[in-house]
Amino acid sequence: MNGLQIKNVTKNYKEGNSSITALNNASMEVKPGEFVAIVGPSGSGKSTLLSVVGALLKPTSGTVSINDKEITKLSSKALSKFRLQEIGFILQSSNLIPYLNVTDQLILVKKMTGKVTKEDQEKAKKLLTELGLGGKLKKYPNELSGGERQRVAIARSLMNDSNVILADEPTASLDSKRAHEVVKLIADEVKKRNKAAIMVTHDERMLTYCDKVYKMEDGILTLQK
Amino acid sequence: MFLALKELKHAKLRYTLMSIIIVLIAWLVFILSGLGNGLSTLSAAAVKNLDADYVVYEDGAKATFSKSLISNSLVDDIKKNKDVKDATPFGAAMAAISHGKKDEEKTDIAVLGIKPGEFIEPKVVEGKQLDPDIKNGVLANDTLKDKGYKIGDEVQVDSSTIKLKIVGFVEGETYNHLPVLFSNVDQWRDYAFAAPGSNNGIKDVVNAIVLQAPDLDPAQLDKSINGIETVTKSAAINGMPGYMEENGTILMMLAFLIVISAFVIAVFFYVITIQKTQQFGVMKAIGASNGFITKAIVSQVFVLSVVGILIGVALTYLTALVFPENMPFNLDAKLVVLYGIALLVISLLSSLISVRQIAKIDPLTALGRVE
Repeated sequence: MNGLQIKNVTKNYKEGNSSITALNNASMEVKPGEFVAIVGPSGSGKSTLLSVVGALLKPTSGTVSINDKEITKLSSKALSKFRLQEIGFILQSSNLIPYLNVTDQLILVKKMTGKVTKEDQEKAKKLLTELGLGGKLKKYPNELSGGERQRVAIARSLMNDSNVILADEPTASLDSKRAHEVVKLIADEVKKRNKAAIMVTHDERMLTYCDKVYKMEDGILTLQK
Repeated sequence: MFLALKELKHAKLRYTLMSIIIVLIAWLVFILSGLGNGLSTLSAAAVKNLDADYVVYEDGAKATFSKSLISNSLVDDIKKNKDVKDATPFGAAMAAISHGKKDEEKTDIAVLGIKPGEFIEPKVVEGKQLDPDIKNGVLANDTLKDKGYKIGDEVQVDSSTIKLKIVGFVEGETYNHLPVLFSNVDQWRDYAFAAPGSNNGIKDVVNAIVLQAPDLDPAQLDKSINGIETVTKSAAINGMPGYMEENGTILMMLAFLIVISAFVIAVFFYVITIQKTQQFGVMKAIGASNGFITKAIVSQVFVLSVVGILIGVALTYLTALVFPENMPFNLDAKLVVLYGIALLVISLLSSLISVRQIAKIDPLTALGRVE
């Protein structure tokens, strides 16, 4: 089965002598071309869920599979390779590398896999142009607006043709006009490129762009829409 | 290299400051090594230049020429040893010379007694080699030319009636920081043991006997002949008065400098790595392996160190041009390369502390908040 499946995922943290359940038996499924939102107050466990899906954190129990591959069974070395190939992260706006220009932000992803070819250069340029950054290819992150930075992050997450896109509060530092632009862009790209996408947000206005909305409260995941 | 160079270009000020520190340390290391090399040449060049393997002293002399008196007749006994290819006497004495004019400034020199034509006699760069028939002929170190001495001069040896005749000049021969006059060993003996009884009653006295004997077992030689001790040439050099102390001081400074540079570079990159924890976290979240980030940091250290060391070398050779002529400064290209590589290796090793830190960075930090 293509896309992303999460089955009965539980994550416990030890805090002193007591144990905190950040995720309690969460299950969900995201098909290719589907854009899913997870909302909830801070501390509800949505970032934990994103970390588990993003192969950054191992769950206490349960399974996560992407394209029929169970990532909960991979070693931590294999995980970083898996992240590189299968997962595109869109992080908060501060998460571009400050000393790389816009094109190099994308090239970096290719560098991690090995050699960079001419096609990769072309692909980076094409992606950025499609996302409306054609005139800013050589700019550094500090010369971009918040919205533009987030568009670079989106382009970066698409660079490796991964099957899954994970967005962590992509609108956190944007005004509402830019926030709408950015989320609409993510939704469009997800549809166009047939990706399975999850966005964690606390911004209720952004939910109109999403196919499904899950609510997270005290580690319990429920489908809302 | 991709990340390393991009970042170096972007944060020019920060990395320029860093490379200035490396330049200064490298500069000082090279100058000290040149000074150390110059000093040790000055104090023992004549012994270093001996084309020999072992030196035989009087038993108890502790490899110091001035404490050793043995008879020249031992040369024949030593040559009987099957491992000894050749043996020849050697003597050293301090003196002052002048042209014998009134109110003239005297020049301190070392008189080294050797047998003309033997294997330890240095080749002249000007004039003739020693001649057994010219008893008072000497080969002078060419620095004496600056003091007005030339071939054919008969020089007066201070506090004696001896006159020496310069027949040739040799290059780079110093002993105890003094320019050398190589003299016929008999002439040397007349000067050094002019006072009755100063030869301890030994017939045909010399300070030491120098051997060409690559496969010699020195302990066995010491056993077969009474009253001698045989040491390697390098032990003989170390036995020169003040040689170990001088070299030791300089080596200690060099060692401290290299350790300091290791710490400066280690701390600098450690702090920068900690500063960039968030950034590395992001890279790890995107899928960068520890190896990828490690390569970036190590190649940064490599580039900075190589540039710093090369500038240091250039500055050293420039300063060498400015140093006064008589300063004992002698840059040995081999030593420069050696210390350059040592500095580079040390700085690369010190960057490993940062590498350890990278392995600890959790990609979760990229999410900004860990629940």
